[in-house]
Formats: sequence, structure tokens, C-alpha cells
Amino acid sequence: MESRLFGALAVVRVVVLLDAVVVTIVRAGSLPHPAASVACAVVMTAWTGFATWAYVQPRRRTFLLLAADLALALALLLVTPLVKGADFRATVPSYWIVGALIAWAIHFRWVGGFGAGVLLATVDLVQRQHLQQSDYGNAFLLVLAGSIVGFLCESLQRMAAERDVAERAAAMAAERARLARVVHDGVLQVLALVQRRGRELGGEAAELGRLAGDQERELRRLIQAQDTVVIETGMVDVAAQLAVLERRQGVTVSTPGFPVELPAATAHELVAAARACLDNVRVHVGEDSPAWVLLQAHPDRVELSVRDDGPGIPSGRLEEAAAAGRLGVSESIRGRITDLGGTAELVTGSFGTEWEFVVPRSAPTNL
Amino acid sequence: MDQSEPSPPIRVMVVDDHPLWRDAVERDLAGAGLDVVAVAANGREALARFPAARPGVVVLDLQIPAPDGIAVTAEFVRQDPAVRVLVLSASGEQADVLAAVKAGATGYLVKSASREELLTAVRRVAQGDPVFTPGLAGLVLGEFQRISDTPRSDPAEPRLTERETEVLKMVAKGMSYRQIAERLVISHRTVQNHVQSTLGKLQMHNRVELTRYAIERGLDTD
Repeated sequence: MESRLFGALAVVRVVVLLDAVVVTIVRAGSLPHPAASVACAVVMTAWTGFATWAYVQPRRRTFLLLAADLALALALLLVTPLVKGADFRATVPSYWIVGALIAWAIHFRWVGGFGAGVLLATVDLVQRQHLQQSDYGNAFLLVLAGSIVGFLCESLQRMAAERDVAERAAAMAAERARLARVVHDGVLQVLALVQRRGRELGGEAAELGRLAGDQERELRRLIQAQDTVVIETGMVDVAAQLAVLERRQGVTVSTPGFPVELPAATAHELVAAARACLDNVRVHVGEDSPAWVLLQAHPDRVELSVRDDGPGIPSGRLEEAAAAGRLGVSESIRGRITDLGGTAELVTGSFGTEWEFVVPRSAPTNL
Repeated sequence: MDQSEPSPPIRVMVVDDHPLWRDAVERDLAGAGLDVVAVAANGREALARFPAARPGVVVLDLQIPAPDGIAVTAEFVRQDPAVRVLVLSASGEQADVLAAVKAGATGYLVKSASREELLTAVRRVAQGDPVFTPGLAGLVLGEFQRISDTPRSDPAEPRLTERETEVLKMVAKGMSYRQIAERLVISHRTVQNHVQSTLGKLQMHNRVELTRYAIERGLDTD
């Protein structure tokens, strides 16, 4: 990072050098000691070349180099009255001194930038016979620029360090997850095999197979839950929560491959409604009878359906129950969903019974 | 789909790194009269043996030593677009399954599926019939939803028709093709066609995405 900054500084050095050299050449005729001015320009050019080379390697960026850099800038300021006469306006090195200033800011952070700025500004000011407003302004800018550049360099360095730490943590987490996957996969393979062979062998082996099947489902659910992360407070991934329902024998849960975030209360009610539907399947169709839960996520709403393959609800039974004043299970399910500002629809027929809930994704405002 | 016609046995290749499992699958397939023409324990072996074995169906575990099942699927389909890849996965990792289907797999089963389910699935994919589990249908539905929610998607991109979405939704709700056909009053074959074209569109979208990615990264300019 520091090398990048010194690389940029090398460009700055060349630009300010050109400025100083051009000024010297243009003004050469009107100067009291043209030869001395040219000599100074030659020194600046030589040092710029040397500094550009020297700062490339981090190991060469010693205190000695930085001290020499600053000392030369100060020396050139100090010889100004001798070269240009006591009533000079622009100093000999002019803007060239920012090279040393920024080098200090980069290497010694804001303290370095501030210190170098103060030194350069002081030397500049004390030599002048007539202090003008602009001289004071330039000096002030030197100190300010040195401090700010130094501060920014420090911030950049810190951010880079933090980013490195975060990247390393992410890489480690990813590697851990990969290893976990390998381990889980191995366990799942064996569980699946036991389940399969057990079923074929029958008898006690079938019971073992069934147990293996329970564990297999449980582990698969855990793996899927592990991949989902709670991002915002108060929001939960309803897809991961619904996956828990697969623990029940015969239940298949289908969700999109991405997290579906809902306010925690909404998600809780949706899962509870789905669970109530599945309970109903157990009662009316049979233990372990198959049932399917499907979650679909749209930008403005989620759709949840629970279906079974049972014989369906005989027509008129729900109406009878309602007429008799009994608020059946279906009414309580419907109530949960309408409280969320959604709709619940029940379709029943030879294809089984299917609940379909549509719930808005924003929290209901009237509660 | 004339069952009475005597047809040559289906040529199957089994790719799985667990020897126990590989043997069990091989035995089941062979026992049912299918022709297991090759087995492989990892991606490299699979790619090396595939050209000579020329299987009609590949029963493939996704979690195999490199290259993984997704890369192997893509390469198989590239070499032989007629090959059918049936993915068997123990963990059912959603992202992996979806990636495999995008890469060209035409079926997916969880490993705990029974022997009969496996045989049925192999026979069905051999006929070019995609084998969807409800879980996979849910993933695919979610993927198309994601595509249509992306604001910059252009009109040339494949979208599902209303009917295709409807059929896919029913698959995700666990309905069999027969049940779907009955409920929508369409033929069994039409249901299969809808499911097939859904998969085709997903794979096409995958290619469009890859191409766009390549263009954005300037990979096409050499």
C-alpha cells in the first residue's frame, strides 16, 4: 500500500520539479546570481531522480533517506536569500518541497506530515523581510496538507489491514464449511445406504433403516439451516424455518434456493399455519402420509401451499361445522393468515387437499 | 414410448467415490437388466472413461473428488448432448443441485431414494423425461422468479409461460405427472413437454448468463 503511495508521489515530484526548473529558466535573466540558480535546479533534478529510485524499495525507506529528503528541501529554502536576494518573493525550490513533505506524511503518518509542514513553513516565513498575506496562507497550507495527507495514509493503511483480516476470516469460514460438507456428505452416504439396504432386507434391519432415515433427514435439514444467516434484526429466513417441518415423516418442503426474509412474527405465524395443516393431514389422512409444502417468494408477497394426497374433505362438511357453531381447524388456520393481511384458500378434490396462503411481505400495519 | 418393442438395455455409467454405494447402485441396475458400461470413482476417471463407454445415462454423485459433479456434467453434455445425467446427491445441497441442472443434468434424486425409485428414474431419464423432485421444482421456480425480479434482464431472455409455471408449481407440490394431467385436463405427454421445456429454458438462461459474463469481462475478445 505504501509503495503505491510512493509511486504516486514520484509522479508528483516530477511535476513540481518541472515547475521549479521552468520558473528558473524563464526568470534566469532577471536573477542576481543566475549560475547559483541553475546549480540549485541541477541539485533538485539530481535529488528527484535519486529519490524516485530510492523510495521504490521499502527497505531503502530509512529515516536517513527521509531526513536527507527534508534536509535538502530546508537547505534550498535557506539559500534562497543568497541566490535571489533578501527581498525574494518565490523561494528557490518553490513547490518542489512538497515532495519531502508528502514523503514524511506517507511514512510517518500525520505526525510526520505535521512536523515536516511546520519546519518547512517556519523556515520559509522567518527568512522573509516582508510577510505578505499569501506567504502566511502558503505556510498554513503546508502544515494542513502535511497533516491531512498523513492522516489519510494512516486510515488507508488501517482499512487495508482490516480488509486483510476480514478476507482471511471469510476464507477460513469457507474452508470450514467445505470440510463440514465433506464430513456431512460421508455420514449422509452411509445413512442413506443403511436406510436403503434395511428397507430391502426387512425385519429388524428395516427398523434400523428407518432410524437411519430419521437421522438423515435431520442432518440434511441442519445443513440447509446452517447455510442461512440472519442478516437484519427482526427479519428471519422463513425458508429455513419451514425446512424444519421435513423432520416429520412423509413431509417434503420445497423452497427457492435463496433466503426468503420476512418479519419474525409473520414467519412464525406462517410456519404455525403450515404446521396446523400438516397436523390436520395426520388426523384425516393418516400418520406418515405424504404431504408437500411449497414456498414461493415474490418481491411483494410470499405464497405458501400445503398439499396432501388424501381423499379430500367431503363437500359440505366444513359448512356443516361452521353452521353448528364449531370453529374448526380450518377456520383457525384461515384466521392466522388473515391476521397477517393475507388470504387463505382451500381446494379439495380427488387430488387431495390443498391450502394456499398468500401473505404480503411487509408487516401488517393495523396490528 | 412403446413398451412392447424389445429395445436394447440402457447403457449406464455410475460415478461415485463411495465404493459401497457404487457397488450397491451397480448391482441394482444390473439386476434390473440394465447394462452398466462403466464406473468411476472421481471426476478425472469419469471424464477419461466417458468417451469410450458411451453411456446413455450417467448416474452421478455431485460430491466427488475433482473435477466435481457439476463440471463433469457440463463436460459430458458438451461432448454428447444426447447423454442424460441423473444426479444422485446425499446432502441435497440446493446450490449444487441447481448448478448441476443448469449445467445440463436432467434428473435429480436424493440418495435415500429406494431401489425402485432409482430404477424408475434411470428409465425415465433414458427416455428423455426429466426427473424432478418437488424440492428441485421449488428451486427452479425460485430461480425463474429471481430472473424475472432482476431489473436489467432483457426481453430475449427465456421466461416461463404461465402454463409452464403452473405445471412446475404442481410438480413442486408433489403431484405426479398423471395427477397434473388430470387436473389441467391435458395429456401426460404435454405435461412432460412442459417440464422438459422448463429445464431447457433454465439451461439456456445459464448459457446466456455465462456469455454475458464473458462479454462483460472481455473474455470474448481474443
